Amino acid sequence: MSQGVYEKLQAMVGEEAGPFEAADEVNKAMIRHWCEAMEDANPLYTDEGFAKKSKYGGIIAPPQMVQAYCIPPLWPKKMLPDPQAKAVRMMDEAGYAGVVATTTSQEYFKPMRPGDRLSYKIKLVNVSPEKTTRLGTGHFLTSEYTYSNQKGEVVCIQSFTILKFKPAI
Amino acid sequence: MSLKSIHWNEVKEGEGLPVQKREITRTTVIATAIATRDFTPVHHDHEAAQKSGAQDIFLNILTTGGLIGKYMTDWSGPEGQLKKIVIRLGATCYPGDTLTSTGKVVKKYTQGDEHLVDVEYNLSVPMGPHAWGTVTMALPTKS
Repeated sequence: MSQGVYEKLQAMVGEEAGPFEAADEVNKAMIRHWCEAMEDANPLYTDEGFAKKSKYGGIIAPPQMVQAYCIPPLWPKKMLPDPQAKAVRMMDEAGYAGVVATTTSQEYFKPMRPGDRLSYKIKLVNVSPEKTTRLGTGHFLTSEYTYSNQKGEVVCIQSFTILKFKPAI
Repeated sequence: MSLKSIHWNEVKEGEGLPVQKREITRTTVIATAIATRDFTPVHHDHEAAQKSGAQDIFLNILTTGGLIGKYMTDWSGPEGQLKKIVIRLGATCYPGDTLTSTGKVVKKYTQGDEHLVDVEYNLSVPMGPHAWGTVTMALPTKS
């Protein structure tokens, strides 16, 4: 049974969806809200005078914010054809009820400035063979998100690995 | 944070970053969930969190990333540029936890015309390590 799921998942590796447009352009209000919640006082993010004199010549967004701009809005709901979500549903149906995020990474290539319009693609890049961990038995799924700006420049590549598992009893 | 930035020339491999501590409250968890636009119920709805097997609402991953970046640039100053963040996720961070950040410069090198450092960091909660990994930063040099 689980062998069947693994084969189906393997066949999905390389599936890609997108590009999907971010709902908001990069903007100072969302940057300030982020900094307020993080207690991040970096003046590059909020102090126009300081940022103007820096190598960027103006305010930039914290690079880790890229994902926040690209989270689909709560309303109106859009069902995106996301290969990771599809793999997760397939595993739910096969009895792998548990999920935990294990590793994520972001590599940054271009700064984000107010006015930038972001878009992203999602690709399923790896499915591990069945592994048994202290949480239970399951598969590690790794997706790659590629975020670009309106000029077509890659801003960030993010990888995200989750373990979908049958909880240990 | 200081407006002065650390220069690559001054950094030594093995050098530790100043320890930072932050008290995580329910307000922190919810304010950061909203600021990161993550409305997954486990980050604001106590009942949904308990149903998922957690003891309480808990910090989302985007915030973990945000706090790691803040810890790094608080140390480097604003001219330190985040190039890459790798995050291994461990113990959940709950309201009431003190999140303690530590770090150490493990490698100093150049690549092309960039002057880089790799910093190993650990953000821990009373239950154990919450997140750990390596951040690569480009630092300005003394001319």
